[in-house]
Amino acid sequence: MTIEHHPPETMIAGYAGGTLEHGLHIAVATHLVTCAHCRRFVRSVEHVGGNLLASLPPSPMARTALANVESRLDERTSVAVTGSTAAASIEDPATRGLPTFLRHYRWGNWKWVAPRVSMRPVELPVAGPTRVFLLKAGAGTTMLPHTHSGIEITCVLHGAFRQAGARLGPGDFDLGDGTIDHRPQIESDEECLCLVAMQGDLRMKGIIGRIVQPFVRL
Amino acid sequence: MSSESKAPADQVDLGELIGAIATNRDRAAFATLFEHFAPKVKAFMQRSGLDDGRAEELAQETMLAVWRKAPLFDRASVGGAAWIFTIARNLRIDAWRREQRGGGANLAQVDLEFQVDDQPLPDSQVDAAHTEVKLRSAIAMLSADQSRVVELSFFQDKAHPEIAASLGIPLGTVKSRLRLAMSRLRTLLREPS
Repeated sequence: MTIEHHPPETMIAGYAGGTLEHGLHIAVATHLVTCAHCRRFVRSVEHVGGNLLASLPPSPMARTALANVESRLDERTSVAVTGSTAAASIEDPATRGLPTFLRHYRWGNWKWVAPRVSMRPVELPVAGPTRVFLLKAGAGTTMLPHTHSGIEITCVLHGAFRQAGARLGPGDFDLGDGTIDHRPQIESDEECLCLVAMQGDLRMKGIIGRIVQPFVRL
Repeated sequence: MSSESKAPADQVDLGELIGAIATNRDRAAFATLFEHFAPKVKAFMQRSGLDDGRAEELAQETMLAVWRKAPLFDRASVGGAAWIFTIARNLRIDAWRREQRGGGANLAQVDLEFQVDDQPLPDSQVDAAHTEVKLRSAIAMLSADQSRVVELSFFQDKAHPEIAASLGIPLGTVKSRLRLAMSRLRTLLREPS
């Protein structure tokens, strides 16, 4: 299955340059786990980074800088180069199947959102403008029409959904905002699991949406 | 490229130096690399907003990480400067996160988020080598103008109006240079038809 929906290049460039806000960074990193096409774009921006680094006017180091570093070259690091100081959550069976880097974050519990829909928030070390959470929806569910006051990124991990004539499956990265009316339809053969990064709020639409809005906790 | 790019670092074969560090734990090679590159990493850190003390510290951490990770450097897959850039970038991100949340370093986590795979699969190495050849063989990657706006926008997170003001160019020019730069990078990676 080919991935057809990708992050905007400017967002990938920000990620590769190391300046993308944490929640968006997690969303892009999730997409990159399965998208070789975008990984190549990351490499090209890193190549630019290397050229820039090499061309910078040097800023003199402290007199003792080299000696200081040389004295540490034989240090045994507590972390092997191939190891990790990851938190214990890597062992959590509930996060098995998620990309490795995601398993190291602290996760909240699964919470009911709407019938057949639940979410599980990532606890970012510092709350920022972007909330990140897993969203799970049962097979065949139609989400209530909604739009957004900010942007919403949906990375499909398992399963698939249809929206405005497009099918989004594993690896696809969907970026939506307030100009788009969302009414995603989960495909009928399996449940759909997505990583969502959301800025701003969900706005439910239609009469049923407005009745449900107070109960939808996203 | 302008004469500014003929800095000492360009005359040093980074790949060879890193290779000597990896294979022989060559301290003379490390000292040469340090002399040429640590000041550039420090400049990079300062340009991203860090003060002299923090920039000095992170530049030293970067060179220490270069020593430790040298055995993982594969010159067929990535250029020396780009590789050092990724180490500096990841350390900077870790420093920002630590500043916000406190606590100890967790560079390994940042590395994971950038797919820095210490044991890459065979086919991803082939893919990486293929990409690297294409990047190096490009006649001109980006013009100096395009590199500058890419640096300010994506490596320093400056907003477009701020970039326009600091370069003394119209906002529309900033946007069009970024657009051209993105399209250039995309074209360089296009699969052969």
